[in-house]
Amino acid sequence: MTSSKTPQAATAPEETAAYLDMPPERRALAKAHAALLSKTAGRIALELPMSADVDDFRRVLAERAMP
Amino acid sequence: MTDLAALSARALARAIRDKKVSSVEATKASIQRLQACHELTNCIITLEADEALAAAKAADAAIAKGTAKGPLAGVPLAHKDMFDRKGKIASWGANIRADKPAGADSAAIARFKAAGALQIAALHLAEFAYGPTGHNYVLGHARNPWDTTRITGGSSAGTGVAVAYGAIPAGLGSDTGGSLRLPAACCGVTSIKPTWGRISRAGAMPLAPALDTVGLIARHIEDLALMLGFLAGPDPRDPAASTLPVPDYLARLDDPVKGVRIGIDAAVIAEAHPEVQRMVEEVVGILTKLGLARADCRFADWQTLDHLVQLVQLPDASAAHAAFLRSRPNDYGPQVRARAEVGHFISAVDHLTALRARGMVLESTLRDTFKAVDVAILPILADPLPTIAELDVSGGPKVQAAMGRVVKYTRPINYLGLPTLTLPVPRHGGLPNGIQLIGKPFAEAQLFAIGQAYQREVPPEIAWPLKA
Repeated sequence: MTSSKTPQAATAPEETAAYLDMPPERRALAKAHAALLSKTAGRIALELPMSADVDDFRRVLAERAMP
Repeated sequence: MTDLAALSARALARAIRDKKVSSVEATKASIQRLQACHELTNCIITLEADEALAAAKAADAAIAKGTAKGPLAGVPLAHKDMFDRKGKIASWGANIRADKPAGADSAAIARFKAAGALQIAALHLAEFAYGPTGHNYVLGHARNPWDTTRITGGSSAGTGVAVAYGAIPAGLGSDTGGSLRLPAACCGVTSIKPTWGRISRAGAMPLAPALDTVGLIARHIEDLALMLGFLAGPDPRDPAASTLPVPDYLARLDDPVKGVRIGIDAAVIAEAHPEVQRMVEEVVGILTKLGLARADCRFADWQTLDHLVQLVQLPDASAAHAAFLRSRPNDYGPQVRARAEVGHFISAVDHLTALRARGMVLESTLRDTFKAVDVAILPILADPLPTIAELDVSGGPKVQAAMGRVVKYTRPINYLGLPTLTLPVPRHGGLPNGIQLIGKPFAEAQLFAIGQAYQREVPPEIAWPLKA
C-alpha cells in the first residue's frame, strides 16, 4: 500500500523538543546554550579515541584510589 | 545559646552515653533551637518533634539498660528532605512529589539509624535540589543566619543553616554541582563531598545520577570523619557504590600534615573577586604555617571542564524530569523549569562525548594537575557572599549566566568526581565564606587530617546574626 503523503511532508523537520511548552525567547536561549556547549563537545570528540568508554571514569577512580 | 549547641555529634554522643545529658534533653534543646533558626531562616520543611522525642525516650531507656547501639546513640540530627524514609513522602523541595510513601529507608538514612542517630526534622532544599543559592520559588527562599538578606547557598540550604546555627551538629546533603560546598561556605561551616560512589545513592532523589554525590555538612571535621566511616561502603541497591575498603577516618584524623603539598592554580583563582583571592591566600598562609608545602598546579582549561560537566548534567537532569516536565510543567517553579528544559536541546552525541571523555580527562588531571601536589585549593564562591535579591533571577534570561557564576568553582569538580573538603575562611567579624580542598580519588582521610589541623587554628563557630 502506498502512502498519499509526499516524501517531503513525511520528513518535515520538527522543532527540537516541540513537546515542551516553552515561550520562543526561552527556547531560543536554550538552543543557543546547547550550541555553545556543542562546540566544546565537537572539539573534545576530535581528541577522543574510538575505544573511549563511559565506564573509563569509574575504572580510573578505582585504579588511582589513595590507600 | 546552650553548651549543647556547640558540641560535635561525637562529643554529644559521648555525653549521652555517659549520662551527663539525656537524649530527651538534647533532643528538646535541638528542637527548640531549630525552631528559632527556622523563624530566622526558613530552614525547616517538616518538624518531627513528637516522633523524635519518642525515639529519644527509647534511646535513653536503651542506654540505661546498656543495650544502646551505634556511635551516635540518642543524638538528634536533621537532614535535607530528599532521602527516602520508610512510610514517608519526601518533599524534594517541590510541589511534585512521589505518589506513595517510601517502602524502605534510603541507604544513608538506614546507616544513620543503625548508628543510633535520631531525626528531628526534614530540612529545606532548592526545588529538586536544582539550584545553588538557597532560592526556592515553590516553598520559599532560605535565609542566611549570619545576615538574613544574604543567600544560604544551595541546594542543601537547610542543612547548612541548621548546622551553622547550632541546631544540629551535622546533617546529610547531596552535591551534583556544588550543593554541599556552597551552603557550607555561605554559612561558615565544613562539608565533605566524597569521591563519586563512596556513599550509596540508593533512595536519594536523583538529580543527575552521573554526578550525584551524597555527603555531609558539619561544624566539626571529626563528625565528617565519624559519619563518612559508617556511611561509606558497597550497597547492592546502588551498583555505582564503591567496593573499595573504607578507611578508619577517625583513627587517621591526626595523621601528620607536614610536607603535604597544596597546589595553587593562580590563573584559575585569578578569575575570582579580589576579596575572594585574598581569602584563599589567607587560608594558604594558615595551611603553610601548619607545615603544608605550597606548590603551583594547573587544571585543564577551566571553561572546557565547565562545558563538559554541563553536557553531562543538563541532559541527565532533563531525563530525570522528562515525564513531569511534559505532564505537569506548571507545577514547577520558574527557575527549575527553565533549567530542566535546556537538556532537551543537547544532542545525545554531545552528551555521550562528555561522558566518554570523563575517564580521559580525570586521568590527565591526575597525571598533570596532581603531578607534584597532593591536594589543590580553590575558592567555592567566586564573589563575596551575595544577597538574595542580587541573585533573584527566577527563570529569566539571566539564569544560566547567574547560576554559572555561582557554581563556577564547584561544578567542574563534579565532572572529575574527586573528593572535596570545605573549610570556612576566618571571618574577622564579617560575613562567612569558604574554600575547597580537592584531593585525589578516595583521599578523604588526608583531607580530614588537613581539616582537623586547620580547625585547631580556626575553630568552628556558631552563627549569630550580624544583620537580621
